[in-house]
Amino acid sequence: MVLFAMPWVATATQFLAMDRLVATHFFNQAEGGDALLWQHLFWFFGHPEVYIIFIPALGFVSSIVATFTRRPVFGYPVMVLSMVATGFLGFGLWVHHMFATGIPQLGQSFFTGASMMIAIPSGIQIFCWIATIWSGRPRFSVPFLFVLGFVVLFIIGGFTGVMVASVPFDQQVHDTYFVVAHFHYVLIGGAVFPLFGAFYHWFPKITGRMLSEGLGRWNFWLFFIGMNLTFFPMHQLGFEGMPRRIYTYLPETGWGDLNLLASIGAGLIAISMVIFVANVVVSLRGGVPAPDNPWGGETLEWATSSPPRPYNFAHIPVVESRSPLWEQAQPMPVVTGLRTDVRDTLVTTLLDAEPDSKHRHPVPTIWPFLTAVGTTILFVTLIFTPWGVVIGTPLFLLGLLGWGWPHGRDKREQQLVESEA
Amino acid sequence: MTATRPAVDVRALPRTVFGHRSLMWWGTIGFIIIEGTTLFICAVTYFYLRRNFTTWPPEHIYRPALLIPTIQAILMLLSNIPMRWVDRASSRMDVPAVRSGLLVCSVLIVAMTILRWFEFQSLKVRWDTTAYGSVAWATVVSHTTLLVLEMAETLAITVLMFGEQVEDRDLAGVSDNALYWYFLTGVWIPLYVIVFLTPYFM
Repeated sequence: MVLFAMPWVATATQFLAMDRLVATHFFNQAEGGDALLWQHLFWFFGHPEVYIIFIPALGFVSSIVATFTRRPVFGYPVMVLSMVATGFLGFGLWVHHMFATGIPQLGQSFFTGASMMIAIPSGIQIFCWIATIWSGRPRFSVPFLFVLGFVVLFIIGGFTGVMVASVPFDQQVHDTYFVVAHFHYVLIGGAVFPLFGAFYHWFPKITGRMLSEGLGRWNFWLFFIGMNLTFFPMHQLGFEGMPRRIYTYLPETGWGDLNLLASIGAGLIAISMVIFVANVVVSLRGGVPAPDNPWGGETLEWATSSPPRPYNFAHIPVVESRSPLWEQAQPMPVVTGLRTDVRDTLVTTLLDAEPDSKHRHPVPTIWPFLTAVGTTILFVTLIFTPWGVVIGTPLFLLGLLGWGWPHGRDKREQQLVESEA
Repeated sequence: MTATRPAVDVRALPRTVFGHRSLMWWGTIGFIIIEGTTLFICAVTYFYLRRNFTTWPPEHIYRPALLIPTIQAILMLLSNIPMRWVDRASSRMDVPAVRSGLLVCSVLIVAMTILRWFEFQSLKVRWDTTAYGSVAWATVVSHTTLLVLEMAETLAITVLMFGEQVEDRDLAGVSDNALYWYFLTGVWIPLYVIVFLTPYFM
């Protein structure tokens, strides 16, 4: 999705920069350009981007649900297919951000249908998680609480999503606080809550210390209650006609009370974030040392030490099941025959993951970083002057040249090939 | 750490593989997707902006000249013959054939880059003369950045092939470079039709 979506915003930005710097007319109506072209290009990136943020969160949720219900996720193949379907459908919805721009009716109907369709794979996933929890033995630790919070908030955000997918409804609430409420339920519920759950889940693996469960519960409940106090009233404010992107309003509008409620909620969220930071600081210094597998997880990362060594595993494990730590016989089967004197790794076939070839990673080098610095200089100067191309391009090319220059490559690759032949 | 037992020995697996078995091949495919999408966006923008004009090209603008762009398009198509030959030679590990084929391809891509300069003149419009000029230039410029990049890579690989020791993995690199060449020259054909021919019938 990143590969197919990012070029749209990159190209749109280049068109815009060229309009500003070298007098092209992509978005200049007077010379045959089109301001709506910008909206199309931006949203063809912008809508898939929502899923680029959201789909990794689905992975967090599935991992946490399986671990904390002590059973593999219910309906795994359907779950995966739903995620793939979301990835495809996500590219066919962008115009629902533009319902108020006067697009043809056929387009409105098509994009309404496509937008509502996204509820199907999302719904399937929600039902799979509920079925997993239902048939498992749930433990209500902090990561799992955040996942439950996600399920509740995301369902509410999903419902309002189906509502605004309908053009007549969207015309009523367009550019109001209803939309603000909708996308905060979707993204705070859909992405931020799983992210917090993931943080609590993998913090012990990353740092070797457990986070405090007590502080974690305060963090969760204040966040959950604060989030609902802040954003739920915004649905009503939208219905009452409060527009987005304003910093003040007249007292006669009657929006004051609900806004006060939202402000109190925001205060609760702020307190929960302070607790979260305190939890991290305190736990890093004096938290309970984490064992290798503190939650009884099923996947490979729990087989290595907490925190893991830089090389993860002394030997690459052989995986024969989706839940290797639960289902595979011990001791753990591993790959042998890779060299230890170079950074050797194994390449497998794409679908069956059968060992196929050996690949030597390059040695550490500063050149990719310097190339990135050159690229940054190129694009930052390009905001202000077309000379950015003249200044930045040689820096960028210099970086590439240094990166690929043969003097740094050692000839040992061929020696390796010949010695192993 | 969990106790382990040896289960799979990969000592005998090859280090140099070609095509989709190679990691570099996947990197090249990713690059092709990104750049292909960028060029697709230029084409979409071209037709989107077309709707804002009654005539195409807009009034008082000449149609593009066709001679040089047509020679270029044919040259790009034909250049795939020697590059395919290089590609096959590299997977046979036939270094002499790769060397001579790459020499031919180097000459061809330098010629294509020089022709590109005249192609800009063939557009017969400036980038700041209406949105038509803007999108025509943007399309050709986008493809030109890829052309220059591929020229640099092809020349570098050719130099590498004439070095004292050619490694097996360099030959896999030749094959990946060929893949990018097919994309670069193939994708130009629809772009040539859009930028240079559609002003004659749209």
